[in-house]
Amino acid sequence: MPLFGKKKKETKAERPPVAVSQNETSYFGKNLMIKGRVSGNGNVIILGGLDGEFNLRGRVKVAQSAKIKGEVKADVISVNGSVKGSLVAKDRIHLDQTARVEGQITTPKLSISEGASFDGEISMNDRSSKPAGTHKTDSALDPLSKTAPIKK
Amino acid sequence: MPKDTSADSISLLSKNVRIEGEIQGPENLHVEGYLKGAVDLSGDIFIGNTGIVEADVEAKNIVIQGEVNGNVKAHQQLEIHPTGKLVGDCTAASIDIKEGAVFEGRSNMIKSSRAAAGPSSNSTSGRGPQIQKQPQPE
Repeated sequence: MPLFGKKKKETKAERPPVAVSQNETSYFGKNLMIKGRVSGNGNVIILGGLDGEFNLRGRVKVAQSAKIKGEVKADVISVNGSVKGSLVAKDRIHLDQTARVEGQITTPKLSISEGASFDGEISMNDRSSKPAGTHKTDSALDPLSKTAPIKK
Repeated sequence: MPKDTSADSISLLSKNVRIEGEIQGPENLHVEGYLKGAVDLSGDIFIGNTGIVEADVEAKNIVIQGEVNGNVKAHQQLEIHPTGKLVGDCTAASIDIKEGAVFEGRSNMIKSSRAAAGPSSNSTSGRGPQIQKQPQPE
């Protein structure tokens, strides 16, 4: 046993694990600061800072340690952290109890947990956001807060 | 939750996601998507097979399996895998370029890394890490 252990240590190259499947959730850690624009398809969990814009087809989860200044656009947005700016969701937004939001929310469906703080304006007119016939069953789009983030 | 000793978590930029802008912090980053702008990390960056980076990159260790257009600076090691492609200059304390890798550009070694690495925790975070590079080609 110890022999193998030693060998491993010698060849250690500091490299993150390679196991990434195609559609994994992007994850921006607590120490990461992003200035600019994040776009594309996929889910994102952010724990760090963003100064700029999210524009995603997918879910965005703003974790408790996250600080966002700017605009977040996504299908589903769930906020536990702090956001200054606007939140625009195609499907729904949830503000959890630790959320601190200052700004504007635009979404067809909204839920706010007790304890959340929200300073700003809400707009819920859904005529623009739902083209006819896109009433999906919602089971596919559970609120983020309880779902495990990573799927294969 | 572990506390924030430098770079203990790995951030992931997945395949269909792109970032245009600046990224910084004491964090490890795994890129499978598209990244344009500037990257300045005191952790490691790993650019996977599907990763495309058009940016100047600075990090502790840099591993390239995908594509990088820009200048890279690795405070420790730069590694280019057989599938990797680097177009731009590199600066590193140690380089490891595998057979099949593509590298177009100049390479500068960070000299006397051991002497400089003593109080290693100081530089990296600020604006200008002052590593003296001598402009001699060898």
